[in-house]
Amino acid sequence: MASVAESEFPLASRRRRRFTRQTVGRALAPYALLAPAATAIGVILGYPLYLLVKMSFEKYGLFELIRHKGRWVGTANYASILHDGQFWHVLLRTILFTVVNVTLTMVLGTAIALLLLQVSRWLRIAITTGLVLVWSMPVIVAVDIWRWMVDYEFGVANWTLTKLHIVNFIRHDWFANPWTGFAVITALIVWGAIPFITITVYAALAQVPQELLEAAAIDGAKPWAVFREVTLPLLMPIFVILTSLSIIWDFQVFQQIWVMLDFRPTSDYYTMAIYAFHQSFQISEYGLGASIAVVMVLFMFLATLVYLRQMLRTGEVR
Amino acid sequence: MAAIELVHLSKVYGNDFTAVRDLNLDVAEGEFMVLVGPSGCGKTTALRMIAGLEEITAGEIRIEGKVVNDLAPRDRDIAMVFQNYALYPHKNVYDNLAFGLRMRKVPKDDQKRRVEEIARILGLGDMLDRRPAQLSGGQRQRVAMGRAIVREPKAFLMDEPLSNLDAKLRVQMRAEIARIQQALKVTTVYVTHDQVEAMTMGHRVAVMRDGELQQVDTPQRLYDAPANLFVASFVGSPPMNLFEAVVERDSDRLVCRVGDTELELPADVSSDRPSLANYAGRRVAIGIRPEDVREAAGWDGARLRGRILLVESLGSEQLVHIEIAASPLERSDLIDTTAQPPGPSLGVEDAERSVTLLGRFDRHLLLAPGEAVEVAIDPRLLHFFDLETGVAIPTVDVPVATPVAG
Amino acid sequence: MSSVTQIAPTPVAPVVPRKIGRRRRVHKLGWNLLGLLVLAVMVFPVYWMVATAFKPGQQILSYTPQWFPTSPTLSNFRDAIDQPFFWNAVKNSLIIVSAVVALSVVLAFLASLALAKFHFYGRKAFIVLILGVQMVPLAALIIPLYILMSRLGQIDKLTGVIAMYLTFVLPFTVWTMRGFLLGIPKELEEAAMVDGATRFGAFVRVLLPLVGPGLVATSIFAFIQAWNEFIIAYVFLHTPEKQTLMVWLASFTTLRGTDWGPLMAGATLSALPVVVFFLLVQRRIAFGLTAGAVRG
Repeated sequence: MASVAESEFPLASRRRRRFTRQTVGRALAPYALLAPAATAIGVILGYPLYLLVKMSFEKYGLFELIRHKGRWVGTANYASILHDGQFWHVLLRTILFTVVNVTLTMVLGTAIALLLLQVSRWLRIAITTGLVLVWSMPVIVAVDIWRWMVDYEFGVANWTLTKLHIVNFIRHDWFANPWTGFAVITALIVWGAIPFITITVYAALAQVPQELLEAAAIDGAKPWAVFREVTLPLLMPIFVILTSLSIIWDFQVFQQIWVMLDFRPTSDYYTMAIYAFHQSFQISEYGLGASIAVVMVLFMFLATLVYLRQMLRTGEVR
Repeated sequence: MAAIELVHLSKVYGNDFTAVRDLNLDVAEGEFMVLVGPSGCGKTTALRMIAGLEEITAGEIRIEGKVVNDLAPRDRDIAMVFQNYALYPHKNVYDNLAFGLRMRKVPKDDQKRRVEEIARILGLGDMLDRRPAQLSGGQRQRVAMGRAIVREPKAFLMDEPLSNLDAKLRVQMRAEIARIQQALKVTTVYVTHDQVEAMTMGHRVAVMRDGELQQVDTPQRLYDAPANLFVASFVGSPPMNLFEAVVERDSDRLVCRVGDTELELPADVSSDRPSLANYAGRRVAIGIRPEDVREAAGWDGARLRGRILLVESLGSEQLVHIEIAASPLERSDLIDTTAQPPGPSLGVEDAERSVTLLGRFDRHLLLAPGEAVEVAIDPRLLHFFDLETGVAIPTVDVPVATPVAG
Repeated sequence: MSSVTQIAPTPVAPVVPRKIGRRRRVHKLGWNLLGLLVLAVMVFPVYWMVATAFKPGQQILSYTPQWFPTSPTLSNFRDAIDQPFFWNAVKNSLIIVSAVVALSVVLAFLASLALAKFHFYGRKAFIVLILGVQMVPLAALIIPLYILMSRLGQIDKLTGVIAMYLTFVLPFTVWTMRGFLLGIPKELEEAAMVDGATRFGAFVRVLLPLVGPGLVATSIFAFIQAWNEFIIAYVFLHTPEKQTLMVWLASFTTLRGTDWGPLMAGATLSALPVVVFFLLVQRRIAFGLTAGAVRG
């Protein structure tokens, strides 16, 4: 009776054992260990998720908030937002925003990772340290820094751009125009996202067997061909993971815009997350907010699936 | 003009570690040259310099007369077979084989023709759409070879391609590689640490140690006329017996005193080794191959008395460890210590004045440990070495120190 | 073929190194210049924050930027610290963070034990759940969370925030701890059991010390998450006495217009603990999300 191997037996053979207190205890052990964490996740992540979906089918205003109970209205919320022009503007804006941010992040992040392979060792260490420093900045701190840099009067951005004769930006308010405003926000987000991408891609690049690159070089491949034929295919899984993670993160951007614009973004700056937030906490239409949030989750669902599938495929889940 | 010329080739890492020191070697067109030596001897570094994967610190590499020092690997028209095969894991066998051709913009039809032909020759015909992960070790090896062959390069460079295979497969692949090379007549430089591989496969073998070339010669000559103690101890399995002796002059003859035994050296032995006379009164190192150590019955020449320590039965013969009274070789730094018989041996009475002699005896003899035995020593089969430098005391038919021109 | 013999003691030619090709040197220089440029651009904002924090007012509010703080001063820091509710905010953040770290380490360790060491029904489902649930956007969940918390009377309460933070870090910490536990070879456990320990005893004596670094890594991660978090603190903590440091920082501007010097000083102070810890654990965090994806 090897007690070591007991927990490895599949459920079926366990049934044949006598149900001593020990075996029952041991069988229940994992569930007991899991219980506290599972409860927390269930209550605070699971139940609200269910609640979110339920609320999206309810009218939930201040009145309902006080009564702790929503009023069922079926698909009225969805009908309402889908017919609202603003919803489509916001959705499109969020999609465009996500595409731009993810593309810039992945391209620049990978480029810097490749650059790291080419520079001298001391510089590699310096750059990596710098990246970690950037990565560690809390979002609010980063927002404040960028707000200061683009300040219309004394910010460095305006002064530098004018000095370089790119454009005259003295006293330029970046947020007056949502296009320049989003440019700042994009720069902020990409800046903060690059370190994670670069460090991860660089680690992956370092895992590519040196021999493979040498074999390709000997076989006649020029450096770009080596990258395209050998490195890139090997890096594909990590790219899939990083891209889907980036999509998930960038689609739900909220605090950067919220804090950058002093908690009062105009509707030109609405992303899905802000839109949902606004509906709920500013207009107190929690039901509508919930329905917007559900649409948001659905849009991210595809990216989530891809991420999960890739993680499962690479054997992380056993 | 040789196919590959290494001229005063050197490689120094950092400021202090010399991996390859002043290597001069010529590989003739179509020759199978083996670089062999213990790990760290510089053979792989030398190979990688030929391939262009390592920067050259000093010296030149010429391929077909042209200096290639500054040429990138892809422009040297060489092919390499790596120890771990380095097959592209995400490409199938066909794409692996065709990769080099694609990079050189060979037309698609030609690619197909050449790849399929090589695949057929190597027995990979029905595996063309499999991935490396789905192949066995031996099959992967063949794909690696195929990838090199299909490019029809000026030279093959092989870096211990058989090390990752199990023993039986290794023996089989050894022969295959040798046959393929003979059929294709492509200049080949082959690196290995296994002297059996070196001896069986190479037209010529270059023995290296600590970055320096010890001797380059045909396998038979390396075996019969090692240039120094290292080569003598490295080549041949089981290894040559090496121990110390004193050369003395007895009126007009030279004798060799091993322990308490005097071995008279016949006149032809002395005349074949003119410089041996200079060692009169001095210690030298002596070597004798195990198969030249015979049971003394019916031998009326020099004999050594000893005691059997161990009998290893190989079936075809018996490998007998015999304790004889002799001075062991002090200069262990001059030889390859990895293959030497174990010592100090358990059960030996006086470790400082005895040596374990390995003999290859006929399989029908009845021998048992503990028995006394006499071995026949034919002085003409002895190898003599200078004890300070390790250099062989040359025999007349072997030219002395002729460095490679250049 | 003539046999050629090289005699070892013949002095070999001394090694005279050739100069590395000029082409390669120029290449390297080019990459290094580019690397320096990248480094400067990426780090500049952080530098600018710290530099501004140390500059006196008139150097900050100048139309031409002063690139170096030529007469550094601590007045901005004093200003920031003297802000109302600064110490409250620090206290609140510390309370929340300590509670979250302690609780999450315990819960995550227990849960990861279950996932790593036992085979049980629902194991794979739970793992998928953990991975998937990290993907639900906080901005969406905050709506029903608010409803739930208001029903539980946890609005404007530190305990509510602690519970939420704890739950949000659990998936990742469980995942990382599981990874650590899986990395410990079974043979160690078995050796301990052969040597006389019970299963539980083996856990404690063998696993716990080896899992130490994992516990440290996950607690640092929980610390960073809890310290940096803004949205939940902003939505759920209304009274200024209850607010965390991040909310304090975000509200800084609206309270005093844009006083950049003290703002940058406050930002520097807020970021300091996290920067320190981040430097300690950054590798683990990157790999936790993407580990093993390039294997083979």
